[in-house]
Order: sequence, then C-alpha cells, then structure tokens
Amino acid sequence: MKPFQNMVVGYDGSPDALNAVTWALDAARAVQANVTIVHAIGLIEHMHEHLSRDTLPTALVALAQECDFDTAALQWLVEDGDACSVMLRMTDPPVNAEVLVVGSRGEGKREGLLLGSTSLELVEHSPVPVVVVPSRFTER
Amino acid sequence: MVLVINETYDDSSHEDAGHPERPDRLVAARAAVADLHLESDLVVVPAYAASRSELVRVHSGNYLDELSAYCYAGGGDIDPDTYATLDSFTIAKYAAGAGLAVIDELRRRNDGVGFVAARPPGHHALADRAMGFCLLNNVAIAAAALRSQGERVLIVDWDVHHGNGTQAIFWDVPDVLYVSTHQWPLFPGSGSVNEVGGHHATDRTVNIPLPPGATGDVVHRAFDEVAGPVIDAFDPTWVLVSAGFDAHRDDPMADLRLTSGDFASLSRWVSECAPESGRVIHFLEGGYDLGALRSSIHASLGAALGQRHDGESPSSGGPGTEQVERMREARRTTIEMLRADDEQGSGQ
Repeated sequence: MKPFQNMVVGYDGSPDALNAVTWALDAARAVQANVTIVHAIGLIEHMHEHLSRDTLPTALVALAQECDFDTAALQWLVEDGDACSVMLRMTDPPVNAEVLVVGSRGEGKREGLLLGSTSLELVEHSPVPVVVVPSRFTER
Repeated sequence: MVLVINETYDDSSHEDAGHPERPDRLVAARAAVADLHLESDLVVVPAYAASRSELVRVHSGNYLDELSAYCYAGGGDIDPDTYATLDSFTIAKYAAGAGLAVIDELRRRNDGVGFVAARPPGHHALADRAMGFCLLNNVAIAAAALRSQGERVLIVDWDVHHGNGTQAIFWDVPDVLYVSTHQWPLFPGSGSVNEVGGHHATDRTVNIPLPPGATGDVVHRAFDEVAGPVIDAFDPTWVLVSAGFDAHRDDPMADLRLTSGDFASLSRWVSECAPESGRVIHFLEGGYDLGALRSSIHASLGAALGQRHDGESPSSGGPGTEQVERMREARRTTIEMLRADDEQGSGQ
C-alpha cells in the first residue's frame, strides 16, 4: 500500500477535536504526511466568527509543538458549511485528502445519538478512509 | 386576486433560547400579511400535517424514523446550527403539509397566489439529514407532490444561502428546475455556477453565486441574463419560491444589500414565469431581522398580488455585475463538457 501524503482533521474547538488533532499529528509525523486542520463555519458562527481564517489558533500551534510536528507540513483552513460536507469536500482538489480524521463527538453533542453524527455520516459517504478518534483515547 | 395562506399552527415549542430561527419570525410573517389589508381576498386553508407517504417522496424512511425518535426522546442539538425539541417532528410535518394544502386550494381555484408561512424552514434539509435550521424540506415535498401529478416545477430560491438540500434532492430530476441566487462564499459552501445538474438533468440546476455587498440590480440582471433563458426553455407549469429574506441589508446572517423594494421587483419577475394565475407559491425560508422580514414579505406578496410597492426603493451599485456576465459562459462550457463526456461514455 502506498503511504498517504495528505491527512485532513476536523476541528471545532471541542476537547474531542483536540484529541483527534493530536492523533492526526502523531500519525502523520510517523509517516511524514502533511496535515490540514479544517474548521467548518456554520450559519450561526458566521454572525460572530471567533477563529481567524488566516492564522492557526494558538491552541493548535502549541499542540503541534508538543507533538514535535513540523508546522511547515501543517495547513489551516476555515471553510463555510456543515462539518460533514466540509470534510467531504476536502477529498476533492486542491486538498485531495487521503485520510479524514474526526473526533467521535463534536461540540454540543449528546453521547449515543445517531442523528447529526458527523463521524457516522463521513463513514457512510467518504470515498477515503475515515479515522474516528474516540473520546476515551488519550494514549500518545 | 386572492392570497391563499396556511392556517396558523402552534409552532411555539420549536424554540431554542437565543436561536435566530424562532417563533417570532412567523408572528412577523403574519403581520406582513395583515399589512396587505386583503379582507375577503385572504383565503386561509386548514392546517395539515404531511403524511409519511407524502414525506417519503423526498426523505428516506430511515431518516424520518431517526428524526421522529430523536424528537420524541426530547430532542437536542442536531448540529451546531440545528436543533429539535420534543414537538419538532410534529411541527415540521405541519410545515411540510402547509405547502400541500395551499397547492390543493390553488388548484381548486385556478386563481391567486400562495404563501406558506411555516417554520422550521426547509431548503437545507437533505433526503437523509437535517442541517442549517431545517428538518424537512418543505418546498421539495411540495415540488415532489406536483411532480407526482405530472407537473413541471420551477423552484426559485432567493434566500441568501444556497439551498443545497433542494438542489441535491432534484439533482438528477429533469422535470424540476432549481434556480438559486445566493451569497458566496457562505454556508453551506455549495452553489457553484458549475453545478448544473446530474446526467439526466444537465441544465436543470442554475446557480448564481453573488459576492458580499451585491445589490438588487445585480440579482435582477442575473435573473434576466442567466436564469431567464433556461426558465423559458423549461416552460414550467408551477412556480415555487424558496422565499428567504436574509439577503436583506438589515439581516444579521449574511452580507448582501437587498431592500424590500428588491423583493417586490423579484417577486413580479418570478410571477411572470408562471403559465397562469394560481400557480405561484412562496415558501418562507430564512430571514432573521424581524423588521426586514415583515417589510420584505409584505413587499413580495404585495407585488405578486399586483399591489403598488411604496416601501424601500430597490438597491443598486453593489459588486457582482462582472461575475454575472461570466456566468452564462461558464454554465454553457460546463454543460457542453458534461454532455461530451456522456456521449463519449455511451459510445464506449
């Protein structure tokens, strides 16, 4: 199997998303892949955007340093849309994601609910492998 | 001419504190209708909850079961934008049924204009997923009902957000033409001019993405030059309007600069696409500034009924004219490429 070059991880600011980014950075460093961290801007967030579209959030800069990940291989994207559609779009040019990574539950979600689960939607519709990092996964 | 509108149903329990998609929106919509002073020319059809057989023309049975179970379990946030409560599934079925009831009345009368004053809105809802404040796709459910009666349906969506759900549902359906003007880039991120329809409906989707700050003159020009020829060729028998009013300059959700005068003008334009009276229905989609919502609904329905507009003047001077000029060519090129691919594929 050809090693993958482009990994995309979803980020919504939640602890689960940080967990997913940590896993992605560790995995990408091991295989020398690039990582794109993408944040989806929804209808309500558009009214008061709290994350810069141009600059990687400081929490993620710190995380990259902690993971000893080369920030030159790290890209930050903010895209309009719901989380699932935005992640699926990442499999198209110009990003061409070969692996999608998400946390098991995003911000404001209740555990055990199927409706509205980004990870389940991605697994159903993604043309590339999807890694779902569970909330309980904290080993590095 | 009469205005046919659905009876008020109790939507008060589909509410999430502080959420912009709130019951006061329907209060504003009803006030806008009252402002028209229609007296006996206002026809109210009884509230009606769409049946499962009417919903599954558009939505998957699995999704309906999941949504129903989710609501009856108490609801909650479906995604960062979209919520449901204990009563939301029932309320959404009334919103979907309102369009069907208005269709029946207009068909019976062969006269008038329809207005579906309902929430939650619908145009982001996919066949198998809620999103963007939307649970059931009201306009799509109405269009699907009309299709089942052999009609050719034009859906004009002037909400500031692209109606990704409606587009996806009718992507490969040749007897539904979907036309959308929307701000881009903006949620939901779809709605490129190159999205023109599936293999069996290549040219049945017309997307007109507009830059932030675009004014009514730009939208009008896009209707005339990009959408108009496609609509003429399609020759619809019914016209459904996904009438969102969040493109108004006072709306907090987006950055277009339309006025109520623009909605009056667009409404007149859309009315002329219908083959006869009694074949145009406006469905409430977005619109979150209550004052702008009330004045814009009043303006658009008044124009559809032939009333003179004496509110805000149409807007002009915003960006986007150059993009509109390039859109027709971009569409033509995309459609030619897709058809060439199809011919190549069928020849192999």
